[in-house]
Amino acid sequence: MSTLVKPRSLFIGLGLLCVLATWLSLALGPVSLPLLDTLRAALRMLGLPIAGDGLEQAELILGQIRLPRTLLGLAVGGVLALSGVAMQGLFRNPLADPGLVGVSSGAALGAAVAIVGGSLFGGLPEAIGPYLLSICAFLGGLGVTALVYRLGRRNGQTNVATMLLAGIALTALAGSAVGLFTYLADDATLRTLTFWNLGSLNGASYARLWPLLLVTTVVALWLPRRARALNALLLGESEASHLGINVERLKRELVFCTALGVGAAVAAAGMIGFVGLVVPHLVRLLAGPDHRVLLPASILAGASLLLLADLVARLALAPAELPIGIVTAFIGAPFFLFLLLRGRA
Amino acid sequence: MRLSTSAIALCVGLLVARGAAAVELPQRWVSAGGALSEWVSALGAQARLVGVDTTSQHPESLKALPSIGYQRQLSAEGILSLSPQILIGTEEMGPPPVLSQIRSAGVQVELFSAQPDLPTLQNTLQRLGRLLGSEAQATALFDGYQQQLVQQQAWVNQAQTTAEAPGVLLLLGHAGGKPLIAGKDTAADWLLQQAGGRNLATHSGYKPFSVESLAGLTPDVLVFSDRALTGDAAREALFKQNPILTSTPAAKTGRVLELDPTLLVGGLGPRLPQSLVKLSAGFYPAESAKATAAQ
Repeated sequence: MSTLVKPRSLFIGLGLLCVLATWLSLALGPVSLPLLDTLRAALRMLGLPIAGDGLEQAELILGQIRLPRTLLGLAVGGVLALSGVAMQGLFRNPLADPGLVGVSSGAALGAAVAIVGGSLFGGLPEAIGPYLLSICAFLGGLGVTALVYRLGRRNGQTNVATMLLAGIALTALAGSAVGLFTYLADDATLRTLTFWNLGSLNGASYARLWPLLLVTTVVALWLPRRARALNALLLGESEASHLGINVERLKRELVFCTALGVGAAVAAAGMIGFVGLVVPHLVRLLAGPDHRVLLPASILAGASLLLLADLVARLALAPAELPIGIVTAFIGAPFFLFLLLRGRA
Repeated sequence: MRLSTSAIALCVGLLVARGAAAVELPQRWVSAGGALSEWVSALGAQARLVGVDTTSQHPESLKALPSIGYQRQLSAEGILSLSPQILIGTEEMGPPPVLSQIRSAGVQVELFSAQPDLPTLQNTLQRLGRLLGSEAQATALFDGYQQQLVQQQAWVNQAQTTAEAPGVLLLLGHAGGKPLIAGKDTAADWLLQQAGGRNLATHSGYKPFSVESLAGLTPDVLVFSDRALTGDAAREALFKQNPILTSTPAAKTGRVLELDPTLLVGGLGPRLPQSLVKLSAGFYPAESAKATAAQ
């Protein structure tokens, strides 16, 4: 397959797109701030000595609402796309997405336990209560993924095909448990659960942001170091190990990074579909399958895409808001089809 | 020493709060609760509402206001774009981080309980009255409401001297399909009891309809609450989608009543007493006929 775009121009393009998306995400919202005010408030927050009179509202909206939201969008989009690349590389299957190893369904189960069973945890200390949902989702994702990985192992070897099937089985199992909680839920918790499954960057706060930013940074620094190994793995497992790659270790790292990254993203923003599956494809269609390009480019593309989708989510129905999962699929899927058909022609 | 300090602080706090309230009442209101919006309108302050949530469906004119979406999924910036001075809602309103963002922008956020009982309603109306500067009106409104419910209760008690409380099932559905049956611990259950009915469902919450479990029950009256259709269309849809219902005593005697589903959420609303009167009349047709004849 010939590439459409040279890596250099791809990085420049995606970098510009990402900067543009970040700026739009800071500058636009249901509250219309004059562009100049936004700029002045932004510069003031960067520490520049600018007179602050008349900027209280701009600073509040920018600092407390839009900035945490933008950072959340960048981190979630980037880490979801990156995990998508890792999973597609691991399974050598373009249909793979982070959900395949059970991290999404495990997180959904954790969330259902937290939302529906929340009243049972009523006695928890104040400090943990608000974070219960995030903690449960994260642990659920990590737990189910660990189980899938464990089931795929035999005689010190990880069988990817077994892992895939175990992932499907555990996803179904977790799905039925979520169904049970759905049945037990009352009207209000049911709607919370439904909305959680569609994801949202709404209500982002710094307290929830730091753990995700930390995880995203670690994953985003670690995975691109495995680009050569992933390239070798494209040839097949035995070929890769003949090339001197420690395939077992690579698999373990890929699964662990995905579970950690997606688990943290889902815990912070709920379930956001499509990004992990399609962003790697978009980048691959543009620049070819070399992981040295694919991994970093996917971070940029995923982050930009999620920010743009979030703009639609917050502006389309203002002052109400759309769940972002609806937007990512609604915009992304047709665009993906377009690229696919064009590539075939 | 410490006690007196805190007492002084309390007094000062109260004075300041009083003073602030007297000087400046919030003029731009956003409401995230159906019953609350109705009460604000009933207190004559509908003009102060600048935005409502999706559960605020009554009075009809509220639908023209900007919608802030579902009460548990509010957007901080969306609400701030309406530049409100106060946001009211039930305790279900959220998510909590959004509420704290709204608070930090200097908007007063007032939470009210949605518990369907009179003391809660009294508290709600008193607070709304204070915030709107129409306390006397709020008190009068509550007294009238209480009066209506007391009369209603007396009527039901009177009716029960001659007739037994009918067994009732309340079906909450969407265009007739897959209705949920209202069980214990729901607003619907409270409503049925107030109207003098005996809820036959023993589970708690709203649960899907099972044909077999229904066969064991013999409701004298069916109450349906349809989110999509109203009137005869809803009635027809219900029986068409659930033929098993036609064999119930209620269907055979034609005692199938309708209830507005918006009454079932967000606590006691102003339209409730009227609906109770209608339900009771359907539960005790003989007493109702007597009353009409006496008039």
